[in-house]
Order: sequence, then C-alpha cells, then structure tokens
Amino acid sequence: MSSVLWFQGGACSGNTMSFLNAEEPTVIDLITDFGLDLLWHPSLGLATGGQARELFWNCARGERPVDIFVFEGSVIRGPDGSGRFDVFADRPMQDWVRDLAGQAQVVVAIGDCACWGGVPATAPNPTDSTGLQFHKRAPGGFLGPDFRSRAGLPVINVPGCPAHPDWITQILVALATGRAADIALDELHRPQTFFTSFTHTGCTRNQYFEYKQSTLTFGDGTRQGCLFYEFGCRGPMTHSPCNRILWNRQSSKTRVGMPCIGCTEPEFPFFDLAPGTVFATQKVAGVIPREVPEGSGHLTYLAQAATARLAAPEWSKKDMFVV
Amino acid sequence: MTTVDLNVSPMGRVEGDLDVRVTIDDGVVASAWTEAAMFRGFEIILRGKDPQAGLIVTPRICGICGGSHLYKAAYALDVAWQTELPPNATLIRNIAQACETLQSIPRCFYALFAIDLTNPRYASSQLHPEAVRRFTPFTGSSYGPGVVLSAKPIEVYAIFGGQWPHSSFMVPGGVMCAPTLADVTRSIAILEHWKTEWLEKQWLGCSVERWLANRTWADVLAWVYENEAQHDSDCGFFLRYCLDIGLDGYGQGIGNYLATGTYFAPDLYGRPTIEGRNAALIGRSGVYAGGAYTAFDQARVREDVTHSFYAGSSARHPFDGETNPIDPVRGREQGKYSWAKSPRYDVPNLGYVPLEAGPLARRVAAAAPGAAAHQDDDPLFGDILDAIGPSVLVRLLARMHEAAKYYQWVRGWLDQIDLHEPFHATPVQRADGRGFGSTEAARGSLSDWIVLENGKIANYQVVTPTAWNIGPRDGAGTPGPIEAALVGTPVADPADPVELGHVARSFDSCLVCTVHAYDGRTGKELSRFVINGDL
Repeated sequence: MSSVLWFQGGACSGNTMSFLNAEEPTVIDLITDFGLDLLWHPSLGLATGGQARELFWNCARGERPVDIFVFEGSVIRGPDGSGRFDVFADRPMQDWVRDLAGQAQVVVAIGDCACWGGVPATAPNPTDSTGLQFHKRAPGGFLGPDFRSRAGLPVINVPGCPAHPDWITQILVALATGRAADIALDELHRPQTFFTSFTHTGCTRNQYFEYKQSTLTFGDGTRQGCLFYEFGCRGPMTHSPCNRILWNRQSSKTRVGMPCIGCTEPEFPFFDLAPGTVFATQKVAGVIPREVPEGSGHLTYLAQAATARLAAPEWSKKDMFVV
Repeated sequence: MTTVDLNVSPMGRVEGDLDVRVTIDDGVVASAWTEAAMFRGFEIILRGKDPQAGLIVTPRICGICGGSHLYKAAYALDVAWQTELPPNATLIRNIAQACETLQSIPRCFYALFAIDLTNPRYASSQLHPEAVRRFTPFTGSSYGPGVVLSAKPIEVYAIFGGQWPHSSFMVPGGVMCAPTLADVTRSIAILEHWKTEWLEKQWLGCSVERWLANRTWADVLAWVYENEAQHDSDCGFFLRYCLDIGLDGYGQGIGNYLATGTYFAPDLYGRPTIEGRNAALIGRSGVYAGGAYTAFDQARVREDVTHSFYAGSSARHPFDGETNPIDPVRGREQGKYSWAKSPRYDVPNLGYVPLEAGPLARRVAAAAPGAAAHQDDDPLFGDILDAIGPSVLVRLLARMHEAAKYYQWVRGWLDQIDLHEPFHATPVQRADGRGFGSTEAARGSLSDWIVLENGKIANYQVVTPTAWNIGPRDGAGTPGPIEAALVGTPVADPADPVELGHVARSFDSCLVCTVHAYDGRTGKELSRFVINGDL
C-alpha cells in the first residue's frame, strides 16, 4: 500500500478536476483496487477532519511515512520571499512544500504550475511563482536542480494545463505497483512514455499539414486545413500524447479546431501572451513561420513546403470533417 | 454565557485558501470573519496583454468553472469588438457551459456535501446507517457511481471543445469547432446515458418531467412519498434525512440575491451588447433585495477593498477597478483581512449591499414575474422560500433542481444545431473598446469587465461568485454573505463543528476548511477540524 499526500499551492484545481475524469482506473478504483492510501487531498476528503493538521505535521516531521507527495499549483514565494501570498494551515505553503518534499519517497508535480510555474508565473509574475524543480525551462525552481527525494529521484513532472487524467493515474499506478524504475524521464523530468511524441502525432489534420493546406477561419472553416499556418498551432513543436490518448475519451483541441497552445512545454503561455501572439502564427517577413516543426531547419522546411504544395491533391483543398 | 472563538481556517482552493474566525456564544455563532489566504494576480498578468489573453488565462482562475470563465470572457470580447454571433455559436456555447454545470452538480453533492451527512454527530437519527451506506467516501453505494458518472456530461464538452477542463474554443464571433452529424448524435447518446443512469435512476427515482412538475414545497413533500422509487432515491433520501437532522433550520443567509443570468436565445443575442443582455437571457438575471425584484445592471456593481489586502479603501466599478496587492502583514495593521475583494451592488432605495450568488439566487430570479416566452419561468423556489425560508437544505436543493432543468435545455439546444449553417463569423479586431461578459457558473454569477486600448488589455477585472459570497466586510462594516450566513448557526460540539461545514458547503464556495476552536476567555485551543472543498 502506498501513501499519497496531495497538496495544492497557486492552483486552480484543474488537475484535480481532470484526475476525477479518469477511467481505467477511476479514482475510486485507485483507492479501492490499487490500495492507494490517500492520506489527504483538498477535495477528496474523508470524514476524519479533526486530525488533518496533526497529520500534516506528522508527515512534515517524518513521523508518518509519505510514499508519494503530489503537488499541484505553483510554489508562491512572494511577497519578498516570504510566501505570504499563499498561507495554508497557518504557515506559508512554501514551508510545507519544503518539509514534505524532504520527507517523501517520491515527489510528483502535477500540471504546469507545479512543474515550472505555469500561468501564475507569466510576466510580470506578480506572486513570484515557480515550479518545484524548474522555473520555466531553467533547472532549479523551488527545490533546486540537485534535489532528490528519499527514493533518489528528481521531481517527476507531469505537465499540461491541465495534465490528462491518464498521465496522472498511470504514473501513480506505476509507482504504487513498484515500477518507479521503469519511469524514464526526459531532460525536463517528464515521463518519456508520454512526452516523446508530439501533439501533432495522431492529429486528424496531419493530411492537411502534409500538403501545407491551411485552415483559413474558425468555426466551419475548421472543417478543413491545418491550424499551424495561421492560428499558431504548436502541435509540431509540443511534446504530448493529446492525439494518442484522447481527452474525456472523445477528442482533442486540434481535432475540434482549436490550435494547440503548447501547454505541456515550460514556456506556456507562450510569448507571455503579448499582443498579437494569441491564436496567431508568428511569422518572418509576413509569410514564413518563425518556428518550424522540431528538428527542421527553415531552409529544408521551406523547400519541403514548396514541393508539398505543388504535390497537393485536390481533396487536400476541400472540407474533410463534413456533416 | 460561554464564549468560544472558533478560528475556522477553511483552506479554500480556487480563490485561495480561506480562514474563517467564528465567535460562538452559548453554542450559537455570534459573528464570523472570512479570510481568503491566497493571491495569484491574474488581473495583473492580463494588463498590457493580447486582447484575447483572457480566453486562455481566465479559465485557469478556476479549474472547476473553467468553461464558465471561457464563456463570459468570450462574451466580454464580443461586446468590446461588436461581433456578430451565428445562432449555432450561441447554441454550442450554451451546451458546453451547461454540461460543465451538469458535471459539477453530482460531484459537489457526493464528493463534498454528502460525506458530512455520515458524521457520527447524526448517529441518533434512524436514517444515519443508510446515510453511511450511501455516502461514505469511495465505498458508499451512491458515492462511487455519482462521482464516476459526473465525468459523462463533460465528454459532450470535449466533443465540441476538444477537452475539459481548460479548452479555449469559444472566441469572439463564435466557436472554433464545426461539429459533424456524429458529434451531435454521440452527444445526445452520452447525455441520455447520464440522464438515465444517474439523474433518473439514482438521483430522482422518476422521470425528469415528473420532478419538474413540482411547483411548490408541498408538491416536493408529496413527491417524496408518492412511491417507493422516489422515496428511496438519493433525492428522496436527502430530503428526508436533512429534515430529520435539521438542515432546514440554519444557514439562512442575508436573503438578498444576485443572478446575472446565463444562456442566450440564439436569435436574440446575435449582436452582443450590454444593453441587450437581460432580455436575451434564457436563465434570467435579476436582483432580489429588501423583498423586491429589480433588473440587473452591471453599472451598479462596485468592489470595495477596505478590508482586502489591496492598497487603499476604494469601492470602484470594475471598469475602473485596480488590483494593487500589499503584504498581508501590512494590511492587517490597517484592519484588512482577506485577499477577496467585497463586491457590492447598488440596490435602488437600499444603497450598496452584499448579495448572495449561486443556484438559489438563480432560482429566485427564475421565480420573478414577467418572464418572456423564451425565459426560465419556475415558481418552485419562490414558493419554497415563502414556505420554509432559505437554509442549508434549500440551497442544496436549488443546485440539484438545476440538473433536471439544464438536462432538458441542453437536449433542446442539441436539437436546434443546424449543421449546414456557420459556427463563427470573423470579427473586426478593434483596438479600443469596453466589454462586459457574464454568466452563471455552477456556483453563481461570474463576470468580466475588459478595457482595450491601442490593441492591448488596459484593464481586466473578474468578479467571481466566490468573491460575492466569501468577500469580507465592506467600508460600512457590513459582513459578506457567508460571514452573515454563519451567524446563528448552532454548534453542538466545538470539537467537531460539522454545522459550519454544512453552511460553507451549501454555498459551494470552494472551501477546504480547518476549524480551530479556542476558548474565548482563556485562549486555549480546543480543537482543529478540516473541511474539504472545491469541486
């Protein structure tokens, strides 16, 4: 049986809400079938409220073992390093995080805010928010680049805004079933099994991308075309399985016509949402995408794009997702 | 007389952690202070940013009501950019946001509210063993299916929006999606499955139509005993048990209500404006205060920061609103005690007063006279308030009532989608303008005020239902709605003040509460208690 303690810092609860959408296993299965001993969670409460604060202190002092410490939300350090913008159970949340991360066997950051600061850390970062072990792409964050939990692991980052419930539950099940050693991490401490492929992988618009055919308008315009050219879709530059493991068992943002906004990458929200950057492809000289698919150079991309357009069959200029 | 200070420290999510101090005289709450204890600064982040940045940022204020944040943020931009909205776009927005609320209703009930009903405090009730059997977290016979099936309505959201939570598929001029035939038919099938398996089979024990035929409190009581299925349904049991343990007896609140309304008739809001908003609503807006109804007018809203951790003590309209945080240590020296601002509304003849937001406020607005043909016209909660007055029970029942109502609405909107007509009309991106967008999130009125200058956001202010309800005292010293609702609550056992949890949760106010009980005279701590929250 693995004990889990789940805290929220500068959070919207979105990852918790996403977690509740899980199937195979459901949250109920996790508790009843996989024997996760949920010591405390902000929303999934047990009726034993009276001991909760004592429990936090027992965990923080190492008197009660915590196998998995899950943190959701940014670590809020302001104002002036005091952490007083986020007070929980009579002390700044950052103090709880420092103590609990130091005692837990494994520390898991759920969602962008906990991984690297997320939306609260967007310029001008009014609360001095950061992630557990990264600040945006820079190693460090709140716990520092050298942090290792008691099991000898860095913080396991499960990013996304929010993270998909499967990314959360499968990692929890892996940890609970003794497969911690199988969780290979990339350079951003993301489980490679989820974050090696791209959002682009499995996108239903790939055939339009192949022939460089653009979606021109939202709404009925998204019955055809690829969102990369005009609407800032970051699918080819974003590591996620969003089109392999569908959302809510049904779809994904790019499938319905919403450009990927890159929310599993540390820079999200990109360009700090400066004017002209939302749902708009950033271009050089008005036509060439400033960013090309990961691993491509501009010249080879342009050459390939020109050829692709020449080769484009008639169907690639027509609606495909039709009534 | 015994005086006890309970420092209820509800560590709330979403709007931040929350502490509530309560003074108890002779076993009854005499006064309360709500202290929101977290600040994230979204309004500051939005300053100077892309006009559409609110579509990405504001859903992240609250992962529970993210679809509602998106809905009103899109309408604020529609107003500012003077867009045209095709009827299909209005329908899809309505469907998506209502599905978010349909998800929230059972989640909030089973995962947050009902677990308190298993408290040993109620062991003397003959119905207590049944409450434990149904509502015990994770293993209760109703808890599991209630929580798991709540994921169904948002599958419909994902069919149109790609995912839930946190899509940004509603944009000025419409929506990004263009559903196909199978998207609509699949949505209908999912919705029907949820209705059959949870709403009718588990919750009501009868058809949606039968429940909605209840027009009075007497009807509701007769409905409980009409047959075995209704009597033994979760709703029938909830009503019997709450009456048995007295949840109709406290948590009255201030008796003044605000609904900004939500869901538009597609043919009436093709050109969104502030002026045309009330008349186009299906779920009506309205203010009920001092025993009288008045029309909702956004110009009458102010946010008072006298007791909030922001510079100054102004009470500004959100278009002119400011968000200048100060260190809470300095704030406390000035008598400030919360990160929430205090929204107030200028009621004709009453002046600036606090108003309760939420499902009960919506039901009060729906009972007002003068509904147009396309509008919600539902006398039930007007009659319930006349018959038994507001309480924890009534607030919860209002929320649950909407499950049946919104199901019917969503089903009707799905049937109205015309797959061959547009879903978006490309807007003119105006560099300057002002917009107001509002909706009813599951837990109450949620509004954005946006000011655009030179193609950037000059000011962005969000007023949430949680702020309406948990806001601190204003400049006149008038307590906020939850501060007021806690007053008069009986606390049988200061070591386990479950009654305070019932009141807080009846507002669905995103609270995770730790209660600290102190003896008022000696200052000695008597107990601590955690109340979870936030679905």
